[in-house]
Amino acid sequence: MYNFPSPPPPPHLCHSFFASSYSIPEAQSARRNSFMMRWCLALLLCCFLAVVNALSSSGSRLLVVLDESAEKSAYSTLWSDLKERGYDISFETPKSNSLSLFQHGERAYDHLLILPPKSKGLGPNLTPKNVLDFMGQDGNIILALSGKSSTSSAISSLLLEFDIHLSNDRSAVVIDHFNYDTVSAAEKHDVLLLNRPEALRSDVKAFFDGEGVLALPRVAPQTLGNTSPLVSPVLQAPATAYAYNPKEEIPSAEDIEATGSQLNIVSALQSRNSARLTILGSVEALEDKWFSASVKAPNGKKISTANREFAKQLTAWTFKETGVLKVGKVEHHLATDGEVSADDLNPTIYRIKNETVFSIELSEYAYDKWVPYEVPAGDELQLEFTMLSPFHRLALQPTKKTETSTIYSVQFVTPDQHGIFSFRVNYKRPFLTNIEEKHEVTVRHFAHDEYPRSWAISGGWVWIAGLWSVIGGFLAFVIVWLYSAPAADKTKKMQ
Amino acid sequence: MAQSSLDVLLKGSSGRNTRGLLRIIILLTIAAAAVASRLFSVIRFESIIHEFDPWFNFRATKYLVQNGFYSFWDWFDDRTWHPLGRVTGGTLYPGLMVTSGVIYHILSFLTIPVDIRNVCVLLAPGFSGLTALAMYLLTREMSHSPSAGLLAAAFMGITPGYISRSVAGSYDNEAIAIFLLVFTFFLWIKAVKNGSIMWGALTALFYGYMVSAWGGYVFITNLIPLHVFVLLCMGRYSSRLYISYTTWYALGTLGSMQIPFVGFLPIRNSDHMSALGVFGLIQLVAFAEFVRAYLPGKQFQKLLTSMVFLTFGLGLTGLILLSVTGVIAPWSGRFYSLWDTGYAKIHIPIIASVSEHQPTAWPAFFFDLNFLIWLFPAGVFMCFQNLKDEHVFVIIYAVLSSYFAGVMVRLMLTLTPIVCVAAALALSTILDSFLVMYKPTPESQAKANADKTAKSFSSTKNPVVGIYSYLSKGIVTGSLTIYLLMFVAHCTWVTSNAYSSPSVVLASRLPDGSQHIIDDYREAYYWLRQNTEDNAKIMSWWDYGYQIGGMADRPTLVDNNTWNNTHIATVGKAMSSREEVSYPILRQHDVDYVLVVFGGLLGYSGDDLNKFLWMVRIAEGIWPDEVKERDFFTARGEYRVDDEATPTMKNSLMYKMSYYNYNSLFPAGQAVDRVRGVRLPAESPKLDTLEEAFTSENWIIRIFKVKDLDNFGRDHSNAVAFDKGLKRKRATKKKGPRVLRTE
Repeated sequence: MYNFPSPPPPPHLCHSFFASSYSIPEAQSARRNSFMMRWCLALLLCCFLAVVNALSSSGSRLLVVLDESAEKSAYSTLWSDLKERGYDISFETPKSNSLSLFQHGERAYDHLLILPPKSKGLGPNLTPKNVLDFMGQDGNIILALSGKSSTSSAISSLLLEFDIHLSNDRSAVVIDHFNYDTVSAAEKHDVLLLNRPEALRSDVKAFFDGEGVLALPRVAPQTLGNTSPLVSPVLQAPATAYAYNPKEEIPSAEDIEATGSQLNIVSALQSRNSARLTILGSVEALEDKWFSASVKAPNGKKISTANREFAKQLTAWTFKETGVLKVGKVEHHLATDGEVSADDLNPTIYRIKNETVFSIELSEYAYDKWVPYEVPAGDELQLEFTMLSPFHRLALQPTKKTETSTIYSVQFVTPDQHGIFSFRVNYKRPFLTNIEEKHEVTVRHFAHDEYPRSWAISGGWVWIAGLWSVIGGFLAFVIVWLYSAPAADKTKKMQ
Repeated sequence: MAQSSLDVLLKGSSGRNTRGLLRIIILLTIAAAAVASRLFSVIRFESIIHEFDPWFNFRATKYLVQNGFYSFWDWFDDRTWHPLGRVTGGTLYPGLMVTSGVIYHILSFLTIPVDIRNVCVLLAPGFSGLTALAMYLLTREMSHSPSAGLLAAAFMGITPGYISRSVAGSYDNEAIAIFLLVFTFFLWIKAVKNGSIMWGALTALFYGYMVSAWGGYVFITNLIPLHVFVLLCMGRYSSRLYISYTTWYALGTLGSMQIPFVGFLPIRNSDHMSALGVFGLIQLVAFAEFVRAYLPGKQFQKLLTSMVFLTFGLGLTGLILLSVTGVIAPWSGRFYSLWDTGYAKIHIPIIASVSEHQPTAWPAFFFDLNFLIWLFPAGVFMCFQNLKDEHVFVIIYAVLSSYFAGVMVRLMLTLTPIVCVAAALALSTILDSFLVMYKPTPESQAKANADKTAKSFSSTKNPVVGIYSYLSKGIVTGSLTIYLLMFVAHCTWVTSNAYSSPSVVLASRLPDGSQHIIDDYREAYYWLRQNTEDNAKIMSWWDYGYQIGGMADRPTLVDNNTWNNTHIATVGKAMSSREEVSYPILRQHDVDYVLVVFGGLLGYSGDDLNKFLWMVRIAEGIWPDEVKERDFFTARGEYRVDDEATPTMKNSLMYKMSYYNYNSLFPAGQAVDRVRGVRLPAESPKLDTLEEAFTSENWIIRIFKVKDLDNFGRDHSNAVAFDKGLKRKRATKKKGPRVLRTE
């Protein structure tokens, strides 16, 4: 069933969703009925495709890169979970010649899961450049690290490109003497027991939260650079944790680069084209063993781990099953009372001081379907009306909700400045795909016949009165001049 | 028999008719010659619009023809001056476009299918024929000799000073403006001579047309009042003058205010105040004349003195008050630069940077006017000899325009008509004296004088003059003929060699003498048209703005309509700064492509690096802290582009774009810039934020694409280094405490 040849689904999906919701209500006549029938068929077909295909919004072809097939069996629950969610999984070893991320210049896979290789690098087919190109073409990657062995320098330098740093010697492990598993790491304290992460900030949606405890054995910690807005931590180490290289006898105090919550166990990067990269510090956490292990924190009760749910959340987010926003219709038009006809929609030119309405339709993908996107409390979706710098920055309010989307809109008056403006919606939040809409429109000046007429301006009445009095006075003068008989004649006659 | 039939033709009333017919034929021939000599460029190249400004006029004309007059009037052009746009309908002189539009519509009404481009290309030659006719009319008003008019028309038809702006394809405002200028002056002279409201109104009408066609109308606005003022000062007030001036001023000002671009300038701008002042003055003078007729002399004298002082005082305070409060706009920068040639360079580099605003070099006078420039003073002198109202006009015009032509190259154009008039006056006098067969007889002269003596003083008596010797007649006429022939040869040569190049296409000669066309401009513009998105924004120096708009049909940031100095300075800053500074500017202005002109390979000296200092200067005018001209010169004050160029120069975007990969054309270390004649550094400059998109055949035009932000949030320099395969070094440990990430 999974070998069903799968064309890239998103265009079809989108099309069918829109087409169906807009064309069906119009169907009235018989001719339209047959038309509708066809649409229904198409819709059915698309639904079928949707079921067959991955539930991910961006394709189902998943490549897992792992060293030996023996290793493969250790993660069998993960594979079956993924398959259940519709992924079409291929396995390759880093050294395999057949491993290629691209075919004919196109992506050969939609997603990539890289388990830490035993050998030094990722092989000739997974060079940092290839990986970046893969992401450049919207491929998503989970990169798992392990504290068991030191991470290869190739991976380290790859991560450096994203401003994600590994420890200096690349073989540190996170140790916590307060949150460890007493069952498996009573001595070494290198199996961390942590609650699932809350939302990063109060105004950011949480994608990884939930009940339960995560067991994270032998975590290779990452620290995030301070400047990049694209990286964000998913799971941070507790304040009492520190990084320590078990091979070194005595940890030197000078070498400590980061401690506590500066150490990241899971971190995520979302590039500008919304391709996702997740760094998981502990690959062992995905093993079957830890999916079903029961653990016990110091002075805690013995409980089973929530690793399996967390793995689902993590893979779902990385492979774009969650946190994917889609822009539907973007409309702007002059504010009118009635319906806006298609001709008046999205004009390319406005005039200064026009009352204008802008609306944008947003959907969010939740595992298997598009749902209306709700902006979290404390956050705002904003519209900028920009020429060089924003003239307006307005909060878009949800005005309408359909089954799959929310329509946000705002009404405003175009500024008293002509030029080439653009409606911009720039909505970039951690863990949500980027929305960067830019629609250029021209705002023109008043045309010669759009100014108020002179008599409509009360201040102009003085001048109009002056004008007509001169004309009237001149006419009166002419009449008087023409029809006043000269008096001199009479006197002459008298004489 | 033959003798008698010739007599029939030449004598009596039929003789007049013959002469009239001949005159018409000669004029038509002159007009034809004027048109024909301007067609070199069409024959050599093709029917193409030339240079820079004509491309905008052409584009505007197309817009007018396609969308009609009203939408042309309200045209907001969103494809120039991105993202500001330009209220084009309200900021241009529509006369030229409307003229071609009307011609186009008339032709299509007559079912003559003609492309609007051909109308535009041939408009200037057509109007130059009309100019020759107008010149005939104007000169005929100055002299009784019929030959003067014909000579002036012939001169005007072919003198290079006028041809320079009116060859076929040079579709600029001057193309019709010079005709309007000459014709308006003719009508004005006619009005002054006749004191007729009709001629005055006609003057105003053509003045209005002139205002709609060219910014140089201010010349008329000032020259006519000056003429009137001088006449008043000479005590030549007459009701003719009063009628013609007041009619012209009232109707002409109303007419000029109908042009949106001019609007209220005629009553608010200092450039127009002289016309208003003279209008007031002539009212006062007329009133004084009126009062004088009713008052005894002594009282009138008192009244006059007090009135003069009162008006002068009132007028002056009023003018100062209005100027200070800003009701009257201050003099424009271009006006100041007319008086102080150094003014523009210091205060408005944008004006000084235009080559046609430079002071004229003296050979240019000979180049453009040939032997007319020698005859010109003689003609002016002759005007002094019989100083009628119209001759005063010629003298004033001659003095003013000589000065202006010396200050700015392009004002040579306004000098040319009066030079033709004066030279024709001088030459016709010479010819009238020397080209006659009969000898003067002293008796008849004496008789004529005797008649006069009875009425006038002896000093006004005409002395007995005349040329008796056929030899001297022959020598003078012969040498003049040679001069005239040389004039024609010179005009043809100059027109053919200097003024007929479209400058869009460069012509050169191969070693074997055959012509080689360098067509890089059109190649590049066509590339833009074919390979970029419809609204890809192109940044280039403003010189190329109109051409990109016209030929490539892509929006530009700045163009030859230099209305916004700050915006031009922004482009200048982007060009003259480091990439790190330029890139945000490019992003902010939505620039997709940057176009530079580079002549280094071909030795084409009009390239951007040679204009670069103007960009720096203009940018420095707005951001004196960020862009400094001094930094582009070496310690010894040299402008260098080779190894010893300053770091600022080497890091500037313009330098990098010009020389990017240039050394790949040469063997290692041998790269030579043929314009500046220097050997370049062995290594090509590095470009991080731009990538080369297109380079034309001879490298004259180079187009670079502005990269998007890096997909992974890196610096462009880091991203480029990564793409080259360089491994990124781990950030070196900084001194001081680590800055922690807070989220």
